[in-house]
Amino acid sequence: MRTLVKNCDGIRRRDFVRVGGLTALGLGLTDLLRLQAAAKNQSKRRQCILIWLDGGPSHLETFDPKPDTPAEVRGPFQPISTAVNGVQICELMPNTARLMNRIAIIRSVTSPLGEHNFGAHYLLTGYKPTPVVQYPSFGSVVAHMNKSDGVFPKNIAVPSFRVGGGRLSGQGFLTDSTRAFSVGGDPAKPDFRVRDLDFFPGVTDSRIDRRREFLAALDEFSRVVDNSRIASSDPQFEQAFRLVTSREAKSAFDLSQEPRDVQKRYGGRTIGQSCLLARRLIERGVPFVTVNNPGWDTHENAYTRLKEGYTGAKVPVGLIPSLDLALTALVEDLNDRGLLDETLIVVMGEFGRTPKLNTAGGRDHWPRVFSVAMAGGEVSGGQAIGTSDVVAESPKDHPITPADLAATIYTMLGIDPLHVLHTPDGRPVHLSRDGKVIRELFA
Amino acid sequence: MNLFLILAFASLSHTPTAIDFDTDVLPVITKAGCNAAACHGAAAGRGGFKLSLFGGDPAHDYDEIVNRLEGRRVNLSKPTQSLIVLKPTGELDHEGGIRLDESDAETISDWIRAGAMRQQLRRLVSLDVTPNDVIVSRFPDKVELKVEATFNDGTRRNVTREAIFYPTDPAAVQADENGKLSVRRRGRHAVVVRFLTKVRTVQLTVPLHDELVDLSKQPRNNWIDDEILATLEVLRLPPSPQADDATGLRRARLRLTGRLPLPGEVIQYMAASDPKKYQKLVNQLLRSKEFTDYWTYEFAKLLRIRSQPKEQQGALAFHQWVRQQIENKTPLNKVAVDLLTAEGDTHTNGPANFYRATKGPRDQAEYVSEVLMGVRLRCANCHNHPLDRWTQDDYHGLSAIFARIEQGRIIRVASRGEVTHPRTGQAALPRIPGQRFLNQDEDARQSLADWLLEDDNPQFAKAMVNRLWRAMMGRGLIEPTDDLRATNPATHPKLLDRITQDFVEHNYDIRHTLRLIALSAAFKRSHVASERNRADDRFCSRAIRRPLEAEVLLDAVVDVTGVSERYDGQPVGTRAVTLFNPKISSQSLDVLGRCSREDSCESSGTSAGGITQKLHLINGALINAKITAKSGRLRNAIDSGKSNSQIVNEFYLRVLGRPATHKEQTYWKQQLAADGAGERRERLEDFLWSLLSSREFSMN
Repeated sequence: MRTLVKNCDGIRRRDFVRVGGLTALGLGLTDLLRLQAAAKNQSKRRQCILIWLDGGPSHLETFDPKPDTPAEVRGPFQPISTAVNGVQICELMPNTARLMNRIAIIRSVTSPLGEHNFGAHYLLTGYKPTPVVQYPSFGSVVAHMNKSDGVFPKNIAVPSFRVGGGRLSGQGFLTDSTRAFSVGGDPAKPDFRVRDLDFFPGVTDSRIDRRREFLAALDEFSRVVDNSRIASSDPQFEQAFRLVTSREAKSAFDLSQEPRDVQKRYGGRTIGQSCLLARRLIERGVPFVTVNNPGWDTHENAYTRLKEGYTGAKVPVGLIPSLDLALTALVEDLNDRGLLDETLIVVMGEFGRTPKLNTAGGRDHWPRVFSVAMAGGEVSGGQAIGTSDVVAESPKDHPITPADLAATIYTMLGIDPLHVLHTPDGRPVHLSRDGKVIRELFA
Repeated sequence: MNLFLILAFASLSHTPTAIDFDTDVLPVITKAGCNAAACHGAAAGRGGFKLSLFGGDPAHDYDEIVNRLEGRRVNLSKPTQSLIVLKPTGELDHEGGIRLDESDAETISDWIRAGAMRQQLRRLVSLDVTPNDVIVSRFPDKVELKVEATFNDGTRRNVTREAIFYPTDPAAVQADENGKLSVRRRGRHAVVVRFLTKVRTVQLTVPLHDELVDLSKQPRNNWIDDEILATLEVLRLPPSPQADDATGLRRARLRLTGRLPLPGEVIQYMAASDPKKYQKLVNQLLRSKEFTDYWTYEFAKLLRIRSQPKEQQGALAFHQWVRQQIENKTPLNKVAVDLLTAEGDTHTNGPANFYRATKGPRDQAEYVSEVLMGVRLRCANCHNHPLDRWTQDDYHGLSAIFARIEQGRIIRVASRGEVTHPRTGQAALPRIPGQRFLNQDEDARQSLADWLLEDDNPQFAKAMVNRLWRAMMGRGLIEPTDDLRATNPATHPKLLDRITQDFVEHNYDIRHTLRLIALSAAFKRSHVASERNRADDRFCSRAIRRPLEAEVLLDAVVDVTGVSERYDGQPVGTRAVTLFNPKISSQSLDVLGRCSREDSCESSGTSAGGITQKLHLINGALINAKITAKSGRLRNAIDSGKSNSQIVNEFYLRVLGRPATHKEQTYWKQQLAADGAGERRERLEDFLWSLLSSREFSMN
């Protein structure tokens, strides 16, 4: 039973007890009050673009180069300086280096889970997988908690949410309506469109309305018979109906509406055009967009896949240069449109890669230390948080777990990490229970 | 003289019973967490100190502790100054913190004082935990466990203090270090108990409600119901009533043959007064060609039958062979032996394709263990499996068996072929997992098959029976179905054992077991929930409904609308369920989320369905083209002059397998009233569209 007993300074006892928990999160009471006030500030939208590097990106070849190590650790690339004194990143990311003031890197992320499904689950939900509860991912939680109206699904994945090997649905114990809507196709292709948004020949707006009505009636008849508690209309059908009857939706997914020079800035690969689409969706108020960029599981052939893209490429179009273009175009574009302050950008994969190159010219899974990058929103850019040891094997200081990342991401999105959800059988689940918010990240 | 006696006494009192490294020191190290996966038990060790996971390899651990690091971990002249004591007691900086209390530290230093020897005085033979099956009658409550180890020298010892307790659901059951459990949530929970390499699972059941349930009047059609009802009684979960005739017919048809019942069938069945009509129905379904087609499909998914990059003949031969086995009622154990020992031309010898399902001996080992044993061996690639008994030797040993198989168009056993064991750096010795290494001259695959299918090895039978149960009831008795292990207990362990044994006794006949399940009252229970069993998704108090599989759903849409679907390269009228290759191009099947068979399709669809599918149902060709087709059933019904109510009734029977209720008839009468033929047709199309998009249709 909770009674509200005021302290002499007017702070409610319930808050005090909460703070006890929050101190474990690394925040003090004033932080809590400030964040609560900020969260209540509805005029500030808080949206998120998660750039998911599926497969586990090598930290040594991106944000945490180790030039002073033997060749088999160092790898084939050199570091370059960035706009931030003392911070170097991989030479394949010159644009990111230039824009470093807006970007924060965390180099001491650590996890024990080196398998794709497990690692992806941990990074995307803040919890290690357990057979007992299916935890929801960030996008699904945001979709669940965002009650605003709108045509678009609240959780969208470009092009698809097939992450970590594909066994993660992302919705956890939340309802189907929170599952990411995968737009499908390849935004980089000239004929890209989201399928089935246009009416089938013969179908009109009024017929769509009628079908919606008929379907709702059928579900209602079933519901009465079943004595069930599920909503009478299927929420996924509802979302689909809304998309289909909205001109705004069709136009949002039409990349040909973007001027050519803007398209070029993002780079012509899927990740670039996916980021461009993500920006369009953010502009239209979609709270959570995942850009899924697969291919980072470079057990072999790393040089070609990371840098060139294909053997003998004159202009490198591999994973890293493509990420470099896409990420910086996105940050600058959002900034130009005055949206960067409201849009948190998170760049990560399920783990890093082995400090020592293997015999196939690649690196294998390495969760013990890896890097994550963030920008936008409340992020204070221009810093590298935490360090890995001299060979990028373990965190040297300030180890940060995926649970900490989760608590931080939720806080940045104005969501209380200790907020409790309930599974269908009544079990209470905190959004993030054990994570500590990373204070240095906040402006 | 006195001094001598005192010294003698002193040395005597410091070495009471000899401390055995394997069974006294290792348990202390394991309990302290030193050899857990997050610390020194990791594949790469930690801080230059690598122990085997949970003490699975005492010889290695002994060597590492005593001989490595120039012997500095152990100080024979000053035992308490040994690194292995100083670090975990906090005397020296230790990233892992303080792990040993005084008495544990003393055990280790005493062992060092006695010479730090490995005498292998005894070996652990068995582990008993009491109680191991508890019904907690008061709630919340505490339970105290006692753990006893039996060694090969005949000694028994209470090892509760050294055992480790892992509740699978820590929010439901909390365990302290000494085996005192505190039960916090209702339901059925498991606690895993480990001592050295042996693991036991304790089951705790807390009734879901305080009020008892009276199950005396519940239908009991066979011993499956006895077991299910016994569990419901303990849990105090009241079952829902039996489903009505129409629901029972639709469910049996779909789950045994993957097809909807025809309208005439529904009417006839509902009207029949024969009390044995359901048994007769089940028998008829089990004998039908549709049964063979559907279960070929189910096994094709399990076996991951799909074409190679440049040719389809192998997959076709494989599919045809599987179908033949099911048609001929080949006992499933014989099918397994044929698969394991197959060789030859994959284009003509179907089962040889078992060896083309994967790309290499390790993948093959994982495939064989998952499909035929229901076990995920893959964790044991890098270290001994933490939750089960499989070791790296098992994983690489099983891979070694397959290393000599040439995986091309012709499957052949080569004279050479090996995999490197990552720990030894040498060729891994072929091994039957959990059993023994194989001799040079043995036919490795035959020996594996012999072991897997011998009568007192229930592994294969259990894995298969669990899948049959899942197909019929919507959820396996063990989930996931490819993760059978002691630490992942069944919801109904006795029931699973009984069905397994019964399956073996009846010659591994799938029809026998499917009949048994189909005839149980549990199978025929309604899915409608009551207040008190609403949250149940696993104890069979009510039926679980699942979305229809992509191929079944598409076939159903074709059946209802009378408009067939064309599949690339296949004759007209081919049913999706009979397609041998999931790579046959079909946009409809892709949108409906068909399984690619890159794995055994056992996890419920993740990328399936979703808004993308709904968009396609609304605007795509799948339903729209079929309901508007001039040759389709709806158009024919309109053109032949049927009335609205006739059309409504017919399609209710076709789509939902039941007549429309009075309320529904009234509703549709209103909605379908139209000015003019054009509008009437559109309304009827919209009606049929909504039936085909409804949950009642797409679920079963």
